[in-house]
Amino acid sequence: MAENAANTIAKERVCDLATRNGEPRWLKDLRLNAWEAYLKLPAPNHRHEEWHKTGIEKLDLSQYGLLEESKSAPGKARDKSELVAKSIEAAATLTQGYGATGTFVELDAELASKGVIFKSLSSAIEENEDLLKTILTGDKYVPESDKPDKFALLNRALFQGGVLLYVPAGVVIDKPFVFNVDMPAVASKLAIFPRVIVILESNAQAQVVTVSGDQAASADGGLFVDMLTEVYLGANARLSGVNVDKLSDTTYQMSKTRTHVERDAHFDYLTCGLGAKQIKSDFETVMAGPGSYSRVQGLVLGSGSEQYSYNTTQAHKTPNASSDIIFRVALKDKAQSIYQGNVLVDKIAQKTSAFQSNKNLLLGQKAKADSIPRLEILADDVKCSHGATVGPVDPEQLFYLQCRGLSVQEAQEFIVSGFFVQVLDTVNITGAAAWIGELVAQKIHS
Amino acid sequence: MTAKQPILQIIDLHAKVEDKEILKGVNLTINGGEVHAIMGRNGSGKSTLSYTLMGHPRYQVTSGKMLYKGQEISEMSPDERAKLGLALAFQYPVAIPGVSVSNFLRATTKAVRGKEIPVKEFRQELKAQMAKLGVKDEFLSRYINDGFSGGEKKRIEILQLSLLKPALAILDETDSGLDIDALKTVSEGINALATPETGILLITHYQRLLNYVQPQFVHVFQDGQILKSGGPDLALELEERGYDWVQPSPAVAAK
Repeated sequence: MAENAANTIAKERVCDLATRNGEPRWLKDLRLNAWEAYLKLPAPNHRHEEWHKTGIEKLDLSQYGLLEESKSAPGKARDKSELVAKSIEAAATLTQGYGATGTFVELDAELASKGVIFKSLSSAIEENEDLLKTILTGDKYVPESDKPDKFALLNRALFQGGVLLYVPAGVVIDKPFVFNVDMPAVASKLAIFPRVIVILESNAQAQVVTVSGDQAASADGGLFVDMLTEVYLGANARLSGVNVDKLSDTTYQMSKTRTHVERDAHFDYLTCGLGAKQIKSDFETVMAGPGSYSRVQGLVLGSGSEQYSYNTTQAHKTPNASSDIIFRVALKDKAQSIYQGNVLVDKIAQKTSAFQSNKNLLLGQKAKADSIPRLEILADDVKCSHGATVGPVDPEQLFYLQCRGLSVQEAQEFIVSGFFVQVLDTVNITGAAAWIGELVAQKIHS
Repeated sequence: MTAKQPILQIIDLHAKVEDKEILKGVNLTINGGEVHAIMGRNGSGKSTLSYTLMGHPRYQVTSGKMLYKGQEISEMSPDERAKLGLALAFQYPVAIPGVSVSNFLRATTKAVRGKEIPVKEFRQELKAQMAKLGVKDEFLSRYINDGFSGGEKKRIEILQLSLLKPALAILDETDSGLDIDALKTVSEGINALATPETGILLITHYQRLLNYVQPQFVHVFQDGQILKSGGPDLALELEERGYDWVQPSPAVAAK
């Protein structure tokens, strides 16, 4: 990565951003602190473990400008139904249109009367300042990460747009909150910094669906999306989430999802990588209380020369918690994927159960996949396992299907859909599995 | 009898796997309405014959002919052969995790029949066949062959063939690993495949199956060839005396 990012996005810009949005002093300070920390961290390069084979050196942030004024940005409005299928019935939908689409939200009065907050971050700054300050400044919700991250810091300095979902204790909502990040077709290089904050207080239950979509850029254009998602689950809370990244081949996306899972809470999340020039996505999940459980699953279908890099961290800081990671990757053409899975078990985290599985199906002759597990286990009474496979479609499966009348092409599609169905079958958000299955089918055919 | 085109004619067929010749001159003709049994020891090349007939990419025909209703099939892909009317019930059916039995049956039946089948019609047909084979409804939502017992796999293979209605059904050790009840049910399924226009090729290791599915012709397979051919009595003799006594039929010996 070119280190001269500071040339373009200087300190004054951070101040400008805060001032222009009329943000309170504490938030401006947070932005500046994050900016200072960002500058101090060395730029990532391929020698850093988690940036192996990501081609990070090629990314020159100095070429990217900031969105000056969302209304003046190019791009034409489109129907939000293009982003999320009709098969999903949402509790509320918020579309963050970077560009002419604008931002709109629908939340029914009944949920609002229960104290549920689902609104753009800029509205939350104006209307729920105290709550937001507690979330962003203290350690009550999502504590600082042990591992500072360059792009997470950059987002904290420059975030523009995003969403806050706050569900008070005991409130149960069985339909998803949908957050669309809808990015414009750009004629130049543009950097975008969405931020998602999800807070479930104790015994709350909710579902979220986030979608990143864009429109193909013109020849000199391209997006750099730096997304930060922070999730806090209070005691015995339940969150199911699905995220779909379906971006064009001129878009870079760096995203970080940090989740703090308190006692007996469950975090169940599926991320789907269905397109981008490059996606680098990190999931850092902290099992903070006994009985906590997290399952992070990935479904990646790459084509062309797309590159995917997923890093997961299952951090067990308490005894008697469990976590599962299941990543399924299928790569067409010369698409590439690298998966790195970290299991960190603290000395006190006895009776931890941590599982990791990464299966890669190479459909293209030139497709490549790597899988790297890292286990750092300091407790002595734990159950941890990991497994990875990389390989082409099993020729015996192909033959079997061909013997039943399916062409090689049809048989491959069958096998790939089946490969993903095992992940999709676990998704408990109504309509989500069918929608993603449809997106997968479209991409297999393309 | 009129000179009707045979369903299958295999003429001096040679085939190899990775440079090793396994089939060394197989000759076999199956007419409509006939059931043939091929018996032989493990490793005699019986399964190779079934894979070669279906066009497994690992098995390469080096010489000879395979004619299906007079048409040479050795250059065709497995799916083309399936669409013509050949079907193989696998000795070891392959699991395709994530693909449910119902989706699988619908897609494959559509592919082989070459046309969409109305959902309701297909369902009725499927239920009727399932009932005959004692396959429970819960199977429909399971992944094909994934975690199935040996007997379950074999029932599902026969269920598939009963929907595909092949003109040439090749059954590769469909009886292996079945208990006697399952064997009876599966045998009924095989018998139901037989019509005056259908040829059936049973490949088996045990005579037991032939108590329930009666072949008109029994062939002893050894070292990549049919060593001896005869009627149903030959199977009984093999059961009693093993394979060691078998002497080549004059036709084979003459070569």
